[in-house]
Amino acid sequence: MATYPQPPKWAEALVQRLAPAHLAEEIKGDLYEMFLSDVKHFSESSARRRYAWRVIGFLAKAFFWKRLTQQNHNMTGSYFKMARRSLLASKSTTAINVLGLVIGIASALAIISIIRFELSFDTFHTDYKNTYRMVRVSGADLSEFRTGIPYAIPPAMKDIAGIRKMTKLEYLGGSSVDVLNADGKFERQFVEESGVVTVEPEFFDVIDFPGSPIQWISGERHTSLREPGSVVVTSSIAKKYFGDQDPIGKTLRFQKAFDFKITGVVADFPANTDFPFSMLVSYSTMPLLFEERMSDWTSVNDGHSVFVVLQDGAEVKDVEEQIAKLHAANVGKDLSSYRHYFLQPLSEMHFDPNFGTFSRRTITHNTIFALKLIVLCLLAVGCINYVNLSTAQSTLRSKEIGMRKIMGSSQKNLIVQFLVETLIIALIAAFAALALVGVAMPSLVSMLGLQVGINFLDPFLWITLASIIGVVTLCAGLYPALLIAKFNPISAIKNQFATGRIAGVSLRKTLVVIQFTATQVLAVATFIVVAQMDFFRNVDMGFDRKAAIVTMRLRLQDNDHSSLSSFESELRRLPFVENVAKSFTLPSGVDRNRNSRNIGKPDANEVQDYQNYEYSAIDENYLDLYGIRLLAGRNITPADSGKNILVNETLMKNLGYQNPADIVGAELKVGGNDRVHVVGVINDYYGNSLKERVDNIALDADAGRFRQVSVKLNLAAGQNMTDVLTKLEQTWKSFYPEDAFQYRFLDDNIAMFYEQELKYSRLFQIFSMLFVLIGCLGLYGLITFIANRKGKEIAVRKTLGASVGNIIIMFSREYIALITVSFALAVPLAWYGVNEWLMNFENHIDVQWWLFAVPGVIVLAIALAVVCMKSFNAAMANPVDKLRNE
Amino acid sequence: MSGRIYLGELEELILLMVALIGEDAYGVSITKELEEQTGRVITISAAHAALHRLEEKGFVKSKMGGASMERGGRRKRLFQITAYGRQTLEELREVRNTIWAQILTT
Repeated sequence: MATYPQPPKWAEALVQRLAPAHLAEEIKGDLYEMFLSDVKHFSESSARRRYAWRVIGFLAKAFFWKRLTQQNHNMTGSYFKMARRSLLASKSTTAINVLGLVIGIASALAIISIIRFELSFDTFHTDYKNTYRMVRVSGADLSEFRTGIPYAIPPAMKDIAGIRKMTKLEYLGGSSVDVLNADGKFERQFVEESGVVTVEPEFFDVIDFPGSPIQWISGERHTSLREPGSVVVTSSIAKKYFGDQDPIGKTLRFQKAFDFKITGVVADFPANTDFPFSMLVSYSTMPLLFEERMSDWTSVNDGHSVFVVLQDGAEVKDVEEQIAKLHAANVGKDLSSYRHYFLQPLSEMHFDPNFGTFSRRTITHNTIFALKLIVLCLLAVGCINYVNLSTAQSTLRSKEIGMRKIMGSSQKNLIVQFLVETLIIALIAAFAALALVGVAMPSLVSMLGLQVGINFLDPFLWITLASIIGVVTLCAGLYPALLIAKFNPISAIKNQFATGRIAGVSLRKTLVVIQFTATQVLAVATFIVVAQMDFFRNVDMGFDRKAAIVTMRLRLQDNDHSSLSSFESELRRLPFVENVAKSFTLPSGVDRNRNSRNIGKPDANEVQDYQNYEYSAIDENYLDLYGIRLLAGRNITPADSGKNILVNETLMKNLGYQNPADIVGAELKVGGNDRVHVVGVINDYYGNSLKERVDNIALDADAGRFRQVSVKLNLAAGQNMTDVLTKLEQTWKSFYPEDAFQYRFLDDNIAMFYEQELKYSRLFQIFSMLFVLIGCLGLYGLITFIANRKGKEIAVRKTLGASVGNIIIMFSREYIALITVSFALAVPLAWYGVNEWLMNFENHIDVQWWLFAVPGVIVLAIALAVVCMKSFNAAMANPVDKLRNE
Repeated sequence: MSGRIYLGELEELILLMVALIGEDAYGVSITKELEEQTGRVITISAAHAALHRLEEKGFVKSKMGGASMERGGRRKRLFQITAYGRQTLEELREVRNTIWAQILTT
């Protein structure tokens, strides 16, 4: 054999590889024949060359390629053609499948965007992983979580090993801001609700926003914030205050008292940061204004925060220990054992509600987990619909499948065929979902108060969508495809076919149970969340929270006694004003100042003898206006001073008195050695949100500390609230012309405690409704299908005397059973989750049986309504129509 | 037959060769015969392409034939003219004859 001349191997291989299978043999044969004849006539090498040329000649011919590609194209085309036909053949099932998936995918996309937004908070800073916030945890049981750090601590921390960078800032929140003209005269006033902060230039070394750079439009980060009295504003503030004018060098007066010169403008801070600052005041101003505070190791202002960046490899524990030593060396033993400083990673800041953030937003990891679970469940429920309907439908298609198999279709072909059908449905659903999300996202976002949008250019969105399509196609399509492809052609044609069974229970039933278990868990959870929200809104907080009370905040310098009392009497003259009270702070609500110090019996010495309490000043009308009851003693009178106090029950008990009457007249020691005199005891009321306990509270009569004016309205029927507010504002302006009229309704103020919970409870409500919707869509599809299949059976039963009721029962019995089973499964799951959530709140509703029963029955009723509606139609049909065409 | 016949010049020649050779018409024999009859040299791939087109149009049919040592043990595709192919050739000849008759008489 070796003596035979051989054509070039590569050319032969080329033909073998590229030629259409049915042509390769003859082409190679012809080529070889000519090669041998060439070898005879010419040299072997020239024969080889000619062979190669001929092969190239074949490569240039269209027919050489044609059959090859055409064949493939035919198969793919046929998959799509068949898919289109079978999807159109059962339009209602297709519609239900698509609809279920659209809802599932749209919600998944929306929630994934929200989760992604929440997880992105402050992750972009260069030293993100090494950055920590100093936090303060105090109390014997370490139950008080705060972020404020005394002013003297950060400068003393310079020598602590392991700290690479440090910056301190004080968040001031809202402020009134007056724009002054060149002569230093008042021009116009703005009120900022939030965003005012004092920072050091080093702030931008620690929190540096490199991914979304904070660009300096004018000014420079190392110098602009160096000098006392400087302020840097964001570009949107600059635009709001000065339009197109250059803001640099302008003077702003904060709180009517502090003047700052604008030295820089920066771009707006991004939405996904917990440092939502808009006006940055230089920190170096602070020592000039409050010099005595700067060396204080004990008193704390909760807005004063410290951020540090640790060196690579530095141990957090180690740094914390050094801080503890430093603290112990500078304060008394009682305080250092009572109060502890820790380092909280920046990456935990957004997720720990204990300490809160400047943006006032946190989201717990549990909530994020719950959201992820909902995404999974929504997609799963949509897929389950698809699996149920298509396995049910497959009995109708068994003839088609049997025929295809007999005609030589391989299992692989059939599986691909069904997956293509699923893929088409998933694709349609995905794009419809994308459109839906695009339309619905803005309203969802505004409802949740998030600044997250759907960006159609974001590759992440498309990757998510593609993976959702892939996962849905595989999860929903694979099982029906495998099942159908495995049909025995003979029994398939004879129409003998049943769905798969898992441990003796039909798969379809199992899936229905899973679907409704998920639905009911969410329904129960939602119901309980709503009940808890309702509890927050309506429970007795110890004062009259339902009254229409408008509160106005006074400026520091506005509380001189005479103008305040004439303002009060002017207010009382308004026809709709029932009562007016002046106080340091409000009984409750987020918009509330707090001051606290220690109080104890006169013989108190050790730290444990003292109670930390919150003190506020009130006038004689306050208790009456807010409906706070006096349990013993007397009310405050105008004759009283700051030395006469009312205590609440909690403080009374914590001081060791059992009976309200016992403490009246007692003398107590506060803030070191001051003596106060208890004149009365009031009932407990919730100063914080109901998520927390009642604090120790004492009220005194120090008129110099009044900052709030509360007005109780008595609205006549048909009185317009806008008119009332206009009148109040006019009265305000006649006394305080330069101050913006800032008011708040007490109930709004209290409601803001639960803003976050309320938002997420709304989200849960929406999604539990979607769950019920998808589940019922699936049920509807199943019942429709079964009713059609059993048309003849129903007809025969009716002719034999079954009533409509009998037939409806025949249909619904199975589903009542299935949904009851899923309810039984849902209860323990929901109970566990809900209990965990309720434990977050100091005051919560008791988990009672009806909280589970009501949503369970509602879901059952909705599902039954769907089943009955459809089976009623089937039962009402005239039996003749079904039986005639036999 | 009605309608135009789409038969290229090379295709017609090759169809004639298939008809002429009869039993042993395949790629190599057809190119050889064509060269002997007309002196025209075509590449083997051109012959295959033309045969392919002829089969698509229904002028020839094919089957796989016997293998031989000189083909390295590979079978050849043997072509055979169909009735339609023969009829087409005859029609073409008739058209030409008619035209020639007119040329000669003038």
